[in-house]
Amino acid sequence: MMWKEKYRIGVEAVDNQHKELFHRVSDFLRAVQRKGDWSEKIPKVKETLAFMQEYVIVHFRDEEDYQLQIGFPEYEEHKAVHARFREMINQYAVRFADEGFTQNLVQEFGGKLMTWLIVHVADMDQRIGAYVREQGGRV
Amino acid sequence: MKVEFVEPFVKAARDVFQLMMDLDVRRGGLRASEELIPSKDASVAIAVTGDLLGSILYSFPKQMTLDMVEIMAGMPVEEMDSFVVSALGEVANIISGNAVTYLNSANYRCNIFPPQIVLGRDTALDMVTPKALIVPFQTRIGEFDIMITLKEANERVEALL
Repeated sequence: MMWKEKYRIGVEAVDNQHKELFHRVSDFLRAVQRKGDWSEKIPKVKETLAFMQEYVIVHFRDEEDYQLQIGFPEYEEHKAVHARFREMINQYAVRFADEGFTQNLVQEFGGKLMTWLIVHVADMDQRIGAYVREQGGRV
Repeated sequence: MKVEFVEPFVKAARDVFQLMMDLDVRRGGLRASEELIPSKDASVAIAVTGDLLGSILYSFPKQMTLDMVEIMAGMPVEEMDSFVVSALGEVANIISGNAVTYLNSANYRCNIFPPQIVLGRDTALDMVTPKALIVPFQTRIGEFDIMITLKEANERVEALL
């Protein structure tokens, strides 16, 4: 599993969404990297892409709403990072439509998805938790 | 080439390995090289533009690359496929991005280009300085190098006002 307890920021609603994202990406990577016929994996790839396109919108909106609610000073910067991630997902969706769900392209997407998620949650989002604690721990 | 350009990459590498892989990174002694060529099996080249021009080359042994991705993915990783190469490229990209942020705060405004993967040790890259600086690193899963060739784009005039 990709999820580690150190990724918790201490805000239950955000942590639960992060866990769900890690769970989905982990599941996707296991399916893509498993030995076997590539064509059988394509439904899982399509499902994950659709999930990412929908769920990240919900997650980012909830996370941004929460940041506004607590007066998080890095809100704008964080929002811009979210926007770049959505753009990355959409660019891959366009490439999949143009080039097909080839193994190479899907694996490349998997590598980006995994590293982005780890950095986003292990680094950037930790600052939300740190800010909440600085403010006296009210979440 | 100024040695001060090296430290941001050392700090960024240390932070990113700890953050993404829970790995401690120990830095070895700096060396100079007359060519910029991969020292190990899997490398990532990243071009830098702006106030500083040049390239950074990250070079990793194959087994270390597989182990790095295995730690991040939390599942066995045995082949150097597009998933592994993409993840490796992103790790180098993230290190470079962080290093450039440190350089920006030292008043060198730079940007980086997307990572280029170099497999094997045959491809020499263009250098912008007579010598490249090589920083060796050790971790519990292997040793890797960061090679740096960077020069200032223009003669900088230090404002004294």
